Amino acid sequence: MSDDPRHAPRARHGRAPDVFRPGGWVSMKEYADHETVDFVIVGTGAGGATLACKLAEYGFSVVALDAGPYFRPLEDFASDESEQTKLYWTDDRIVDGDNPLQLGSNNSGKAVGGSTVHFAMVSLRFRPEWFKARTKLGYGADWPIDWREMWAYYTEVEQALKISGPVNYPWGPPRPRYPYRAHPLNAAARALARGCEALGIGWTETPLATLSAPRGLAHPCVYRGFCVTGCSTNAKQSALVTWIPRALSAGAEIRDLAMVGRIETDANGLAAGVHYHRQSKWHFQKARNVVVAGYAIETPRLLLNSANDKFPDGLANSSGLVGKNLMAQANQAVWGEMDEEVRSYKGPPSLAITEHWNYEDEGKDFFGGYAYMSQGPLPQLWANTQATAHGLWGARLVEEMKRYNHVVGLKIVGEMLPQEHNRVTLADELDQYGLRIPRVTYSWCDNDKRLIDHSIAFMSRALGAIGTKNIWVQEDDTCHLNGTARMGDRPDSSVVNADCRSWDIPNLWICDGSVFPTVGGANPSLTIQAIACRTADRIRTLSRLGEIRLN
Amino acid sequence: MERALGAPKVAGSKGERARAVQSASRSRWGETETVMAARRLNRAAGTLAASVLVDSAVEHYRGSFKNKAMFTPLVVAGLTLAMSLHGTADMRPVAHRARDTSYLLAAATGLLGTGFHIYNVTKKVGGLSWQNVFYGAPLGAPMAILLSGLLGFCSERVRANGRQRPRRVFNLPAGETVATVTALGLLGTTGEAGLLHFRGAFHNPFMAVPVTLPPIGAGLLAGAVLNGGGRTRRLARRWMRLLTAMGFIGVGFHAYGVSRNMGGWRNWSQNILDGPPLPAPPSFAGLALAGLASLELMREARDA
Ligand SMILES: Cc1cc2nc3c(=O)[nH]c(=O)nc-3n(C[C@H](O)[C@H](O)[C@H](O)COP(=O)(O)OP(=O)(O)OC[C@H]3O[C@@H](n4cnc5c(N)ncnc54)[C@H](O)[C@@H]3O)c2cc1C
Ligand code: SF4
Repeated sequence: MSDDPRHAPRARHGRAPDVFRPGGWVSMKEYADHETVDFVIVGTGAGGATLACKLAEYGFSVVALDAGPYFRPLEDFASDESEQTKLYWTDDRIVDGDNPLQLGSNNSGKAVGGSTVHFAMVSLRFRPEWFKARTKLGYGADWPIDWREMWAYYTEVEQALKISGPVNYPWGPPRPRYPYRAHPLNAAARALARGCEALGIGWTETPLATLSAPRGLAHPCVYRGFCVTGCSTNAKQSALVTWIPRALSAGAEIRDLAMVGRIETDANGLAAGVHYHRQSKWHFQKARNVVVAGYAIETPRLLLNSANDKFPDGLANSSGLVGKNLMAQANQAVWGEMDEEVRSYKGPPSLAITEHWNYEDEGKDFFGGYAYMSQGPLPQLWANTQATAHGLWGARLVEEMKRYNHVVGLKIVGEMLPQEHNRVTLADELDQYGLRIPRVTYSWCDNDKRLIDHSIAFMSRALGAIGTKNIWVQEDDTCHLNGTARMGDRPDSSVVNADCRSWDIPNLWICDGSVFPTVGGANPSLTIQAIACRTADRIRTLSRLGEIRLN
Repeated sequence: MERALGAPKVAGSKGERARAVQSASRSRWGETETVMAARRLNRAAGTLAASVLVDSAVEHYRGSFKNKAMFTPLVVAGLTLAMSLHGTADMRPVAHRARDTSYLLAAATGLLGTGFHIYNVTKKVGGLSWQNVFYGAPLGAPMAILLSGLLGFCSERVRANGRQRPRRVFNLPAGETVATVTALGLLGTTGEAGLLHFRGAFHNPFMAVPVTLPPIGAGLLAGAVLNGGGRTRRLARRWMRLLTAMGFIGVGFHAYGVSRNMGGWRNWSQNILDGPPLPAPPSFAGLALAGLASLELMREARDA
């Protein structure tokens, strides 16, 4: 196929790309802009795609729009880090604060399938206590959802994505067996394991959303390790190859290269539809319900950009919390060199994990927890890391890269606390669509720093215990954005309720990582998808009770 | 299969050999069944050896023959296969020294290989864990060459019975002994298939077949040993034929499995290594053939 999905939309004329067959198409239901659909969903990532699929399967009419292209992984993805930057959301944004976030590759995607197209596939459940972090653990905020309910939805998502995981998971309450078996460990993962055994803590194979056996037309993983630049075999169970095909066959419409600029409200203060930009024109899609699922920066940005006379501070913002409590996750690493070859880039990057410090509270001088995982940086990323962290360039960088095959590293996903001054606001600058761009302000608090220090000290010991040489610390990295439209029990202290329904506008929903009141020390996507499944079930129940606008 | 492939060598002195050759051509009917039974066992041992030969060639190639000892199963399985072909063709009612030696060598290799594989698995971080039994050296695989050796050795003992009835191996009734070895072999091989199909999450429902049919076969063989009625034996015989077919059809399923990897058969050089092992399922056929031989031996011993 010669067409470039970044320039012309592919999902049109009653068909969408068949991601499993080169050049193939599947039929797609289409709605006209003036047809009022039950749900219009903004964003087709972990939250949006899951919800689109489930709602369509429950018989609602659904249109899901995404600003990004509709890729065909078998054809469009190259084993080339530079080429694959096309997956990232790199539109203009302003970052500030004491610890400005580095946006783009490590935290946001722009594609049908959202960030899951290039995510690292780590699929963890939250520790049950985190859902009541304030009452049980004394920090952050409580979620309005019970962990037992979440446990069932986690199972649903694990089945839907055929997660490959260990036969027995060592932490937390029992969970059903993962649908697929764990992948073989690479040398980097075995290094993590040996470090854990040396320090006397548990470790296991990481539950991953990539296939260890065939599934339909999707091939099993080939262990080449290009995961965070997009998987060209369809082994990775991204939203693009799981929820989206299901959504299409259930009758949902996907609109690619469709950037939503504003949500319209009617005279009654209800959402009426969305204005979106596609093929050089602005359009308006009418809808009975609007769901925002644009991820933790674009979601508040859209709500704020949709301010009107009735809602001068932006939609769903009577609490003033839209955009606030942005939480990244700490992503510090400790690196070193082994005498033997490691070739850490072989296979998915994080094949082994320890959640010890997520579940153990003794001996911590901070709130929250962290997991740490083995790492497999691709060469260009590694050269960049060396250039930025050590200022290496030219001959010295070349010399350092000769050691690349011996590099071993451990990296955390660490909990950062919600703080109101970490937030997304609107800058005055405009982007290519003429929309105000987001300003993202971020500063670590003392607790964040203590957690980071603890993890660095511990991981350094773990690497030291297995004979790693030249250990050094990469201090400034973050990943995964959440918060900015938190869910809660009360309209004055949250933006949405447990059903992801906004308190202010009953037919406006938010269903993505923005709704997290806390982030825990686990990668968020499984939780985002579990919440989307729950939201779909709640919408079905509420619609049966006549509590949802459907006419 | 029944045709002699030239004049095979027979153990013993020149005179003995001459007598053996004579007796093979002269007094056929007395010993024919004995030789037939033995040749059936040679054939079973050979089928197993062929499966081991190709399987270990592929798997150890995949492991880059990192350790020189990884050539051993290829050499030994190759030799066992050759000897089994030789035995299958050999019409004489006398054990053969070279065959005997090579079958014993095969059995010893199986035991040693199992030791090696256990060492490989337990020295990995995590020790005897699911991860290591899935992806380390397969614990059950060397058992196949052990079984091939055992069956082959039994075959030679059966042959050595000549006209003597009932036939015995190691001073035990031949049919029952071979049936027991076979039943245990079937259970062990089921364990191996079960482990690897569990690793593949039984993603295809047909993956349950080789873990359900063979244990039933093992049960039927045990039944035939224990109660010995003609009905049980007949059912067992049919089941062994079913398992033989399953063993060969399994190759087809595994070929389909290979095609489901990235690039399919066009990318055969990679996918034959990464996909399900093509030569593995016929080891069930080898055992089922041994089962058939044992049932025949039991029939002759009991109904005679
Ligand atoms: C490199 C990387 C590795 C990661 N690894 C992991 C991991 O191993 N495990 C894990 O759990 N998580 C991981 N994540 C995080 C995970 O991908 C995200 O948390 C998750 O995808 C967020 O889901 P979401 O629905 O909130 O947003 P996304 O999945 O980002 O989807 C948002 C979508 O909305 C679209 N959009 C936004 N605004 C608009 C608009 N105005 N109009 C139209 N469309 C819009 C975007 O184009 C995007 O496609 C990783 C992320 C990255 C970037
Ligand atoms: S290593 Fe596996 S999941 Fe990662 S890109 Fe390759 S095939 Fe996809």
